This record gives sequence, structure tokens and C-alpha cells, in this order.
Amino acid sequence: MQPSSTSAAVLAAEPARDGVPAPAMRPGPTSLSIWLLLGAAIAAIAAFGFAVSDPFIVTLAGYTCAFALFALSINIMLGGIGEVPLGQCVFFGIGAYGVGIGMVKLGLPFELSVAAALVISVAAAAALGALTLRLTGAYFSIVSWGLSGVAMVAATNLESLTGGPLGLFGFSALSVGPVLLTDPQSYFFVTASLLVAAVLFLVAVRRSPFGAAMESVRQNRHLAQSVGVDVTRVRLKAFMLSAPLAALGGALCVPYTQIVTPEVFSVANTVDGLLMVLLGGSQLIVGPVIGAVIFSIIPHFLELDPNVRILIFSSAIIAIMMFAPGGLHQLAVALRQRLRRDGHA
Amino acid sequence: MELLLQTIVNGVVLGAGYAVVAVGLTLIFGIVGIANFAHGAYFAIGAYGCYLLTGQGLSYFLAVPVAVLIVAGIGVITELAIVRRSLYGDAHHGSLIVMFALGQAIIAALILLFGPDPHPVPSPLGQTTFNVFGILVTAQRAFIFGCSMVVLAAFGLWLGFTVKGQQIVAVAQNARGALYSGINVPMIRTLAFVLGVAAAGLAGALLAPIVTAYPTMGHGALIVGFTVVILGGMGSISGALLGALLMGVANALFETYVSVSWTPALGWILVIATLLLWPQGLRGRAQLHRH
Repeated sequence: MQPSSTSAAVLAAEPARDGVPAPAMRPGPTSLSIWLLLGAAIAAIAAFGFAVSDPFIVTLAGYTCAFALFALSINIMLGGIGEVPLGQCVFFGIGAYGVGIGMVKLGLPFELSVAAALVISVAAAAALGALTLRLTGAYFSIVSWGLSGVAMVAATNLESLTGGPLGLFGFSALSVGPVLLTDPQSYFFVTASLLVAAVLFLVAVRRSPFGAAMESVRQNRHLAQSVGVDVTRVRLKAFMLSAPLAALGGALCVPYTQIVTPEVFSVANTVDGLLMVLLGGSQLIVGPVIGAVIFSIIPHFLELDPNVRILIFSSAIIAIMMFAPGGLHQLAVALRQRLRRDGHA
Repeated sequence: MELLLQTIVNGVVLGAGYAVVAVGLTLIFGIVGIANFAHGAYFAIGAYGCYLLTGQGLSYFLAVPVAVLIVAGIGVITELAIVRRSLYGDAHHGSLIVMFALGQAIIAALILLFGPDPHPVPSPLGQTTFNVFGILVTAQRAFIFGCSMVVLAAFGLWLGFTVKGQQIVAVAQNARGALYSGINVPMIRTLAFVLGVAAAGLAGALLAPIVTAYPTMGHGALIVGFTVVILGGMGSISGALLGALLMGVANALFETYVSVSWTPALGWILVIATLLLWPQGLRGRAQLHRH
């Protein structure tokens, strides 16, 4: 279950379970298990990248990793401070258009375009956050959704910059240094290693004092304020942290899509990312990654009509929110606890 | 001068359509306490209901109320099966996501049932236009305007002067207090939700002859509904009317005098400006947090 959002949860440490004193910080994986998981992840990535030869599957896996970065960004807002950022696709689009405009219009190399897009996304998050983060709940979601609508209208109308409704295409050399991103294997390795780096970074963030402050804001922002957490500042910092991750995801999707259209600002992208987060569980750092893998594998093997896919996944979301708001992670934890209880009995 | 007057009249008539969408949203937000992201889907169901019924040979004027009843029926089912079971007592992000997913699911189901193409809905009012002192209004638009005013007035009077209406107001003000004084709060919330989505269905049925029925037609209506409701103040019926008329006139003026292609961005810019200047909207009352 979700930790109770009562005042005690913020002030006191986790209550002791089974007579064992709990650590002072919220329970997280120990350092050893993180290194083990990291090793396993790297081994899995290497095994997958070298063993699977079907270029389509490998490219799809690379795209999944890129989109998982976007899902991680959404989860900084959802799992981190408890807002539903329907407009997070704005930053996804900034990343994609950063690559598009940088390479096609300005003739910059890929790396430089991505770097510029990341900087712009942080600046945009600072400006938009200062305006919209004073709103919470439904108001924030609606306005953030609206901003993505404005971005889509702007991308459609500013034809000289964005290529209008047709979008930008005709990329020359999509490469990071000597590594060519149009090669499926290297595309997968680049996106997968960036994803691992992002997850490690988020683990470090969650363990930092800032991570604790974010958690206190999510659980009860009035109480957090009263014990001296600068809530406005924490929310803004979380937003500015989430933006470059989304932009990186958007930029890394370009080698797969090979075109940037105003559709990147569509709220449908955010919805896909939200689905990934909710499937995997918003309170687990790698939850969005697990969700992204499930989300892209199932439709591929079932060859579903996109509308059937939306119907199934939307119904799944409703069921998850009704019966297991913590996602698959929560189901796994519940299962483990039941097994352990049976073992003791 | 003629153009300006014609534009303003167009805007007011457009706004009357928005008002019916917005009044349902504002009712659900005020009483049930959720932002109904599935509102656009009920709007589309209303339009499709009208399309199916007129296709069976039913007169348009009969098809509209029957379509509204169908939407209300679906509203009852979704309220009992999903909304009440997953949302009450849950003030955080859960309700947003569930309603959003519900809307997506209904729209996907509509595409699978009827295909993605728009279906024309015939109206006996057809292309008839009135000419009042040189200002043109189509009969269908005038009909929408009339229905909208009747519905809004009925809502206002019902909330103000009937026992059920007063119970709804009581639940909106203080659900726990209402419960303690013997009001059946879950029933009142179901009633408010069903009335709200029925209003969305009515708006869909009324607008269908103009915009045709297509699965994603509710997206635009939902966005406009939210902008109107935020502009007017969440939970206020007079605010919904005021916001809708303002939004309609602003859109019409902007479209005529500035730019058609940038018009979709205007509503959001107005909303953001409103929230910065008057955080409660034009006619909203200060909202207490329900945690």
C-alpha cells in the first residue's frame, strides 16, 4: 500500500516492521543491491544487444529506452511531487524539435543540438514552472495540458522555423561522436546506457536531502511547509529536473522516427508515458522502465489495432488505479509479503 | 460596424454552446470534486446517439432528448462501476488519471464501433438563416442558443429553489456536514455526476448537425469546457455562463480580426492570464482544500 499520507509519516521515520528497527530514511535499496542490479542491467543490455540480430527488434528496443527516459521524467512529477503533468510532452517536443531545428535548419551536429535542447528545456521549465506551479492538482494538470496545446499550435504555425504541419525531416548524420545512431545496435546501446545513467542519477537524487524534501511535499505539502521545506522551490526544482530528461527522450526518439512533426507535442505522448509509469509503479524508480518494456512488447507481439491497444491499456489503467494504485510493483510487494507470512506460519 | 456586430453575435451564439458543456463540468467539479477529463467522451456519445436515432427515422427534436437519456444511462453505469468505487475520499492524482483513462477508453470504443470518419447528422432546421437587421444567424445556432439558455436557467432555478437542488448545494459546501444532517451524500453525488454528463451529451446532440459526429469531437469541447470553467470559476454556474460568453466572443473576434490558425491557443492564454490575476476565476468562491 502507499505509505499513509498522515503527518506522522513525514516527521517520524518509517515505523518498525516485525520488531526490526527501520532505517531513518525511507526504505530504499542498499548500495550492494544497487551495484548488483546495475551489473545485471548492464549484462542484460549487452546480452540483448549482441544476441538479438533482428534489426527491427533492436531498433524498437532502442526507441523503448528513449521513451522510458520520458516516462522517468513524468514520474519525477507524478511519483516525486504528486502532480499529473499532462503537458510534459512540451519538453519531449522541445528535445525533438531541438534536434530537428538544430540539424536541419542550422546544420549543427547531433550532440550540439541535443545539448542546446536540454538547456532550452531547463530554461522553459523555469519560466513555465514559475507561472504554473503555483497551481496544484487538476488546475496544474489542465493548464499544463493547455501549454502543450499552445506549443502544438505554435509548431504548426511557425513554418519558417518548424517546417509547419509537415515537420522537419531529411537528417544527415545522426551520430554521437563516431557512433552512428542509424545503426540499430549502436542506437540501442546509446539509449540503453543513457537510460541506466538516468536511473542511477535518480537513485542519487532520491537519497539526497532534496529527494527527502520532494517526498515530504508529495505526502503533505502543508506539513512540509510548516517544518521548513520551501515547497515552491522544491516543486520548481523537480520540474526543472524533469524537463531535460523528457527533452533527452524526445531527442533520442528522432533517430527512430526520422521526422519531427507538431504531433510530438500531442498529449497522446504524455498519456503513453503515464501508462508506462502506472503499469510499473510510480513509487519505484525503475517502475517506468519496467512499464515501458511491457508497454512496447505487448502490442508488438499481439499486433493490435492501435485503438484496441488504447482501449485495453486505458481499461488496465482504470483497473490499476482501482485495485493496485502502486502498479505492478505494489502487486509484487503484496505477493512477497504473503509468501513471507506463509513461510513463517 | 456590421462586421463587428456580426462577429459579436456569432461569438455569443458560439458561447451559448460552450456554456452547456461547461455547466456540466462545473457541476461535477463543484459537487463530486473531480475534474471530469472524460467529459468530451460523453459529449461525443450524445452526438453519436443523435446520429443513430435520426438514422432510425426518428425526428431530430425527439432524438436529442432520447440521446441525452442514453448518455445519462451510461453516466449512471460509469458512476456506479468506476467513479464512486475509485475516487471518493481520494483527493490526490488518482481521480485525474482514472477519468482521463475512461475518456480515452470511450473514444477508442467509439472508433472501433463507428470508424474514425465523421458522420453527418441531419437537422430539420437545415441551412435556414434568420436575418435580423442585417445580422445573420442560422436556425440551428438559434436553436442551440435557446436550448442553452433554457437549460442554464433550469439548472440555476433547480439548484436555488428545490429540495434536491439545495441538497446538492449543501454537499458542495460541506459534504460531511450534509451527511450529518441526513442528506444521502453518495446519491447526491451520483445525481450531480449524471446531470453533468447528461449536459455534455445534450451539447453533443445539439452541436452534431453543425460539426458532424466523429470520435474525437469531444477533445475540442473538453478543452473549451475547461477553459470556460476556469475562466468563470470552478463550481459556479453563473461563472460558467459568463466565461462561455466571454470565450465565445473572444474567439470570434480573434478569428475575424487577428488570425484563424492561432485561435486554438487563445483560450489557454486567457486561462493562464485569469489564473494569474484572479486565481478563483471570475465568479468562483474561495475553495477549501479537501484533504
